[in-house]
Amino acid sequence: MPTELPYAADAEVSLSYDELEVLRTQYQKELAQSHVTVQTKFNYAWGLVKSPLREHQVEGVRLLQEIYRAEPTRRRECLYYLALGHYKMDNYEEARKFNSLLMEKEPTNMQAQSLASLIDKKVARDGYIGMALVGGVAAVSALVAATLIRRATRR
Amino acid sequence: MDFAALGRAPLRLTAGARRVTSRDLQIVEATDALLEEDVPEPDGVAQSVSLLRGFNATIPSADKGRTRRRQTRNVDAPKMGLKRLGMSARGMLADEDDHESVVSEDDVVLVGSVAGKKAKGKRRGRQSLSASVVFGRDELVRQTHEIQRDKENIHVRRALLNNEIVEVTHKIEALDAIRTKLEQDLLRLQEDELELDDELEGVKERLELEESRTRSTKGSQVASHLQQSSRRRKGPAFLPSEHDELPHGVAFMSLEGHSSPIAALDFSEPYGTLVTASQDDSQPRVWDLMSGEELGRLRGHRGTVKCVQVEDMMCLTGGDDGNVGVWDLRRVDEDDDWERDSEVVSLSDVAEEDEGVDELGMRRPDVNGSIRQGMSTPSSAIEKDGPCIRLLEGHTKAVTTLYFEDECLVTGASDKTMRQWDLTTGQCVMTMDILWAISHPPAAAPGTGLPNHLFPGAAASAGSFAVPTPPYSDGSWEMYQDFVGAVQFWGYALVSGSGDGAVRMWDMRTGQPHRTLLGHTAPVTCLQFDELHVVTGSLDKSIRIWDLRTGGIFETLKYDYPVTALQFDTRKIVAATGENGLEVYNRTSMQHSRLLTNGHAQPAERLRYMDKYLVSGGRDSMVKIWAL
Repeated sequence: MPTELPYAADAEVSLSYDELEVLRTQYQKELAQSHVTVQTKFNYAWGLVKSPLREHQVEGVRLLQEIYRAEPTRRRECLYYLALGHYKMDNYEEARKFNSLLMEKEPTNMQAQSLASLIDKKVARDGYIGMALVGGVAAVSALVAATLIRRATRR
Repeated sequence: MDFAALGRAPLRLTAGARRVTSRDLQIVEATDALLEEDVPEPDGVAQSVSLLRGFNATIPSADKGRTRRRQTRNVDAPKMGLKRLGMSARGMLADEDDHESVVSEDDVVLVGSVAGKKAKGKRRGRQSLSASVVFGRDELVRQTHEIQRDKENIHVRRALLNNEIVEVTHKIEALDAIRTKLEQDLLRLQEDELELDDELEGVKERLELEESRTRSTKGSQVASHLQQSSRRRKGPAFLPSEHDELPHGVAFMSLEGHSSPIAALDFSEPYGTLVTASQDDSQPRVWDLMSGEELGRLRGHRGTVKCVQVEDMMCLTGGDDGNVGVWDLRRVDEDDDWERDSEVVSLSDVAEEDEGVDELGMRRPDVNGSIRQGMSTPSSAIEKDGPCIRLLEGHTKAVTTLYFEDECLVTGASDKTMRQWDLTTGQCVMTMDILWAISHPPAAAPGTGLPNHLFPGAAASAGSFAVPTPPYSDGSWEMYQDFVGAVQFWGYALVSGSGDGAVRMWDMRTGQPHRTLLGHTAPVTCLQFDELHVVTGSLDKSIRIWDLRTGGIFETLKYDYPVTALQFDTRKIVAATGENGLEVYNRTSMQHSRLLTNGHAQPAERLRYMDKYLVSGGRDSMVKIWAL
């Protein structure tokens, strides 16, 4: 039975401030009792990951990592959420690592496959930008060199 | 060249300086470690309820549908000021609330209008609230779906909660297990503390001994009597270093030689000298516990020897013939010569007995006690050569129990009396009549005849006392005829256990019993007391622990077979309870255990221990030595 996972688009939709506050309060209440249930932690972590603020995303991924470490049974799902979190933060390398591990375990998972293609697209786009940059730098340096040589030879 | 990294660079640079926090680094560093870890198949709750489903079921917006539906059911009714009503009913309405919210001004019960309507007499029934709201079909279908979803959410939440409950239960169990272990550790600490207390007493004694030795100018005064008798000594014994290597609870030495059940035994110190007596033998044997060899025998009694006590090199025995023998164990090997010239040798003994006569040479079996009778001169208090120093006569029937300390000896016999002797002169100082004590109980009861709380079969005023013992674990039983089962004294206080099941406490200055402890329903066979407790064992298959001061019972330990011997200290009670294995009861942890390894093949009947060294004798005629 394939794991139930949200598509990457779901991560772009953030919760309202109030909702996140409620989740945070619940998480902290359970922390005070020193017994935090996995669900509460995940709720808060997922809410943070969905938020557009980078600090939230970082914190969300950190909490997800804690869940990953603590609950072996939940690890497979966490792989996906971690990949998603890193993807939002533009850590494409990590995202790819987590996602590929997940796809090893569950090759037929639709969401994992879609996330994989999204990551590839982003990486490729960055690659083009990089290439363009390198090309531009090369062109500029060629121009500068040519000017210098011409000036030198004209003398 | 990693173009992707390059491509990302401008975005990073232009999108504003962003501090790389420690959290960022933490995440990235942890990634590799996490990827290493094993990812098992999800099972249990993880499989049935995914995190996402749980999320959707438990976030606050999950309740949205319900609140929406409730709002649709809200009817527009004239403001009744219900909130104000409610608050005043709770007694929370204060003056400030009047000014607080604008809304509250409207929350006034319009009593007037209602009353006005009624006064007008129009008895038009008020419409039902639900009549003013109409739901369309679509709305109703939507509500149905919403409710279904909410019910599924509840199902999800229930699964989550059940899982949590199971986990918390497991944690509680684990913590409980830890707590019981800690409590056991506490008990063990208590035991150790008691052991240390005893050790301290032993060391204090030695200190006193040392001080008195250095103080005394006369070197000849051997302070042997300053040291407490072995029965009262509490400190640990001196053992050879190898003794610690012995496995705990194992009989590491067995002494064979007797051919009938062991009737009595005692030893001077661990790895010292042991004296054992058996039923069909009138000569107790003396053994060296270091080598396990028989050193010799004590000749002088005419019937079975029923009780033995050994202190250092002095040994006292009491026998069926009513005599008490006082022996010097150092002289046991001298006895050899005395016998050799007797007529006994010329008889069939030579043909009979067996294996090699060693250098101590005297495994002479005494098959015919009657022959010897002719040899010994039956007169009282004659100094003899050989180990027997003295013979104390006076009892008319078998001496069944004795206890001596320093120069004072108390014996109990089947003639239902107890005698106190002075060992320096060999004279009987006092006789205490138990029968008299039974018919004249010290309590202010108008006692004529036997008190009826004693069990039937108790001693009649005349006649011999004989009670059949309940069978031991191997089915054997015999007629128990020892009226006085056990005695012990300390200073002037004497405690005796007798065949009527009563434990009596006597004052030896007056010879009168001042207290009787009742409880046993069969003859008392063994007893011991210390500063706090009296512990008695009896044929009624129980051991009772009494409070010495008040006479009340602390504890009763029940067993399956009659109890024939016991010894206790602050931490444990070791008892022979009619089974092959010896019973060890731990007084701090209240645990019972048995000494079985390499043990007796028939019920064990006698025992004595000092520190970690225990000697037991059983019906299988074997003497076994244990490391506790």
